[in-house]
Amino acid sequence: MVENRSFHSKVRTTIIYGIVLLLGFSCLLPLLNILAISFSSSAAVSANRVGVLPVDFTLAAYHKIISDGQFWRSFMISVIRVVLALVLNLALTIPMAYAMTKSKKEFRARNIYMNLLIFAMLFNGGMIPSYILVRNLGLLNSIWSLVLPGALPIFNVIMLMNFFLGIPKSLEEAALIDGASPFQVLIKIMIPCAKPSIATVSLFSIVGSWNDFFSGLIYMQKVKNYPIMTYIQSLNIDIQEMLKSGVSSKTLENVTELSNRNLNAAKIVVAVIPLLLIYPILQKYLITGIVMGSVKE
Amino acid sequence: MEGKSNKKRTPAKRKSEMSYHLMVFPGLFFLILFSYIPMVGIIMAFQDFVPAKGLFGSEFAGLKHFLYMFQLPDIGKIIRNTVVIALGKMIFGMILAIAFAILLNEIQVKFMKKTVQTIVYLPHFLSWVVLASVVTNMFGLDGAVNQLLTAIGLDKINFLGNSKVFPGLIIGTDVWKEFGYSSVIYLAAITAIDPGLHEAATIDGASWWKRVWHVTLPGMLPIILLMTAMNLTSILSAGFDQIYNLYAPIVYETGDVLDTYVYRIGLVGRQYSFGTAVGLCRSIVGMVLLLSANALTKKLTDRQIF
Amino acid sequence: MRKSFLIKLTGIAAAASLLLAATACTSQDASSDVGNAGSTLSDTSSERGTIKVSIGRQTLQNVAFPDGDTYEDNAYTRMAEKELDIDITNEFEANGDDYNRQVSLALSAGDIPDMMKVGSLDELKELYENDLIADLTEVYEEYASDYLKSLYDSYEGRAIANVTLDGKMMALPGTNVDSGPSIVWIRSDWMKQLGLTLDEDQDKCITIEDLEMVAKEFMDKNPENADNVVGIAFAPWLTSGDPDGIFSMNSIVYALGAFPKTWMEKEGTVIYGSTTEEMKQALAVVSGWFQNGILDPQVGIRTWDDITALLANGQCGITFGAWHIPDWLLNNVYALNNNAVFEAYTLVDANGKVNCKHNDATAGYIVVSKDFSHPEIAIQIANLFYDSIVNSKEILENYPEVVDYITNGVDGSSRPFNIEVNSYTSLLDDYDDLERCLNGEITVEEVKTSEQRSNAISISAYLEGNADATGWSKYHSRLIGVELIQTLTENDQYSWLTPIFSQTTPTMETNFANLEKLEEETFIKIVTGDIDVESGFDQFVTSWYEQGGAQIIKEISEQLK
Repeated sequence: MVENRSFHSKVRTTIIYGIVLLLGFSCLLPLLNILAISFSSSAAVSANRVGVLPVDFTLAAYHKIISDGQFWRSFMISVIRVVLALVLNLALTIPMAYAMTKSKKEFRARNIYMNLLIFAMLFNGGMIPSYILVRNLGLLNSIWSLVLPGALPIFNVIMLMNFFLGIPKSLEEAALIDGASPFQVLIKIMIPCAKPSIATVSLFSIVGSWNDFFSGLIYMQKVKNYPIMTYIQSLNIDIQEMLKSGVSSKTLENVTELSNRNLNAAKIVVAVIPLLLIYPILQKYLITGIVMGSVKE
Repeated sequence: MEGKSNKKRTPAKRKSEMSYHLMVFPGLFFLILFSYIPMVGIIMAFQDFVPAKGLFGSEFAGLKHFLYMFQLPDIGKIIRNTVVIALGKMIFGMILAIAFAILLNEIQVKFMKKTVQTIVYLPHFLSWVVLASVVTNMFGLDGAVNQLLTAIGLDKINFLGNSKVFPGLIIGTDVWKEFGYSSVIYLAAITAIDPGLHEAATIDGASWWKRVWHVTLPGMLPIILLMTAMNLTSILSAGFDQIYNLYAPIVYETGDVLDTYVYRIGLVGRQYSFGTAVGLCRSIVGMVLLLSANALTKKLTDRQIF
Repeated sequence: MRKSFLIKLTGIAAAASLLLAATACTSQDASSDVGNAGSTLSDTSSERGTIKVSIGRQTLQNVAFPDGDTYEDNAYTRMAEKELDIDITNEFEANGDDYNRQVSLALSAGDIPDMMKVGSLDELKELYENDLIADLTEVYEEYASDYLKSLYDSYEGRAIANVTLDGKMMALPGTNVDSGPSIVWIRSDWMKQLGLTLDEDQDKCITIEDLEMVAKEFMDKNPENADNVVGIAFAPWLTSGDPDGIFSMNSIVYALGAFPKTWMEKEGTVIYGSTTEEMKQALAVVSGWFQNGILDPQVGIRTWDDITALLANGQCGITFGAWHIPDWLLNNVYALNNNAVFEAYTLVDANGKVNCKHNDATAGYIVVSKDFSHPEIAIQIANLFYDSIVNSKEILENYPEVVDYITNGVDGSSRPFNIEVNSYTSLLDDYDDLERCLNGEITVEEVKTSEQRSNAISISAYLEGNADATGWSKYHSRLIGVELIQTLTENDQYSWLTPIFSQTTPTMETNFANLEKLEEETFIKIVTGDIDVESGFDQFVTSWYEQGGAQIIKEISEQLK
């Protein structure tokens, strides 16, 4: 009965909206808690008194961040690095992913390359040989040490390949029959059709570059060259470790003043803001569907 | 036209093959340079690596570290903990991420859709150092969750101190943290499904649920299989940061995993060799699982993951 | 096809090895020695020209440098450069543990700076065994000032002994002053409010029964009407290898005659403190507390931050830790309650003695690369920073910016060598100064160190009623806390233990993490009543020996012969 249907669909819609809102809300509360911590006094934070709203509202933590020159230097380093990495990643990932969609018939070496990719994704030599290599290439302390080693994110290649495979082959064939070269097919057909997946790959690249703190730790020999997440992570103080290494009590004073949880929370908030801005920009491509060419099967 | 076993490589075909090689070449260059050359470092797993001696000066130690790892008294427990937690995260994480993607896709109110999506993807970016104190506050014996439980008449649950519950806490909080970000890829998969298929199904009288089951999920299948395979490769990585910041000796029984164990060993002596050996084991297990998953997929469906 | 793939792979592997090997062999070109190649050790600076020195620096998070100074270029480095005619560059800088990683990376790449700090004796040994560092015995003898030598000698040879390998002095050690016992801090304002008295003879010593009594009273009477009062709270790992273990049960264990996480000698054999009978007794006491409610019911999951919160919220009025915790930990209590006051006590054993353990005499070591042709510069830098700055009025006159650094408390990590070199008695010497200043015997200017000068000023202000956070903290740490150590020393109430071993053996490197895990897991289960004290502990000792403990003890005994 039609009436039953629309009642069912109304109930269903309410439930769906309800669940989505609930999940969204569940993510919101802890975020608000961290935000509140960043705006609270360190005494209130250490007494665990902060809930969803700030206690003893203060801008002290943010003031400290704004006046910390190194924070902004690291911020800029990360921004530059993300941009460089994004361009390089896309330039390498997209063609490779397309080439990998070709079957063995069309591209005899395809399986060899795929095996190389998979193997490299699973096995790696670790921090020490990578460091030695980067050092020998003269890239230590250079922003390229943050960009080049991660130039080809293997997972993204495989993921993008899968998305390309989802595009109807008929489009490709039509273009090839019309005399298009593989590069032209890639640029004129595959890329426009795969906008959501390229947006996804871009997001992963941006997020990956932004969040990576370990490269900075090993390839940058001066704190002034640290990208933002490395800098934030280097500020985390393990009191137990400090106590073990026989630091003076004066140092302990300095250290705890700076490692306050509210200061940490503030730093995280500021570092996350760019990501907050990126997402809405990419959402445009992620939510809308693809425009299908006029292909009749 | 297909099926003709034409062994002749026409000039056109050769030319297009050349194009494909060209497309692969730049990426391959970086791959070899930054992934394959450092792989030499894997020999550290078979040495008694001493930084001062370097890679080629350290003594050869054969399978010593592997043997040591397997005869550790707790190794069985540690591996069990690792797999339980990693599998739990993988299974529940994927289910929630996929479910959320499907539900979110149904939301028509653009503003709500965008806002919720942005909010849920944020927890992924918070470090566990910061999140741990939020979790201990919420799930502690005096925390919000337990207050809620007592309010509705249930017993308190000792999330952080009870070995039976602790893995659940780890899995649950991680699933919560990651589902938003993970859902991105599933959303992309959903939007890539031909709307014509959905239309056809509706015309045929399929209910919403039937549509999901017969159009949406099958359309997402390649990506779901891909993500399953990828996640399987990290079956022995249960997540260091989270567990390190939340565990305590009282829950070592189920909470101590490979990552945290190796970390503590590294604190006593700088055990790079041991760490590399463990990493190598992980890689091998990951590879076996990946190849199995690929073979299984090929057999059951008609496609392969990679 | 497969064959060509294999060939390709072998080719890549070969090329990779060559690439890495080529660099493992090249050593860093001599960054030192701009001047005459033939300089002898006793050249004056003017003859040898400016020497470049590259240093590995362990830094501290977010040190506030004035006016664009950096770790590489600040008042201290400029002074060193001018005085010694050198040019300092930082080879690498990193905070805390990240620094140790950089050291390992530099070593792996086969190239270390001219001078650097290493954090552990193990690293020092590794450098020595691989012939990478210089023997400093002669240059120390010849160049170290008498004052510097006296600082090291105040440790009765322990300091120099730690860095002496095969009879050669291989590093300049940083010193580690004894920090005293794990002080029992009790809210004296609460005691007053409840009419309780402790320690009538004012010798700072109380018994375990005293402690229990106070804890019970605090819990029953709840002086600040807090929710969820806790009598005594410990950190999840319960004991600490540091005598002044913060939030640990060390003071109870020591009072019963055991020394957890310590290698000691008993009746001629090496033994691990946590496996002794006395440790069992201590665990029995503490698990008894858990049974009757004095001990935090959430012990084991209450984190460090949580315990701080308990104190700050007035839920708990007793805590344990070093003399200096009021400066950076208890200040949180003051921040929320300006009326909070603590008194310091220590637990005595059955003989009326305070058991305590000597800290390792050294922490942090400065090594000089074997290839550096002017090792004496290291000694000269040490002289400058640990002798001249303290004693020479002339130096301070010539470098007013250094004086500014000191007055403004710019962190000591900005010095080229991030180690402390203090006399063994420096803590009590400073206290002595402070006491005499507060008594009016000497003026503030006569107080020796500038840090103690500013402490004297803050504490005087506090005592006169102009309290502020710093005054409160310093009053509690420098006066109350150190006073306790002073009292115990004066009354000769210490019973000192010197650990017989503090490094690592081969089996420790592989098994010790596991043994520690066994210990911490077992102890927390004993305390919370999950397993029985008697059988649980005995089982633990047996397992401990089986799982590598016996082997380690054997290795230690070998090394000590």
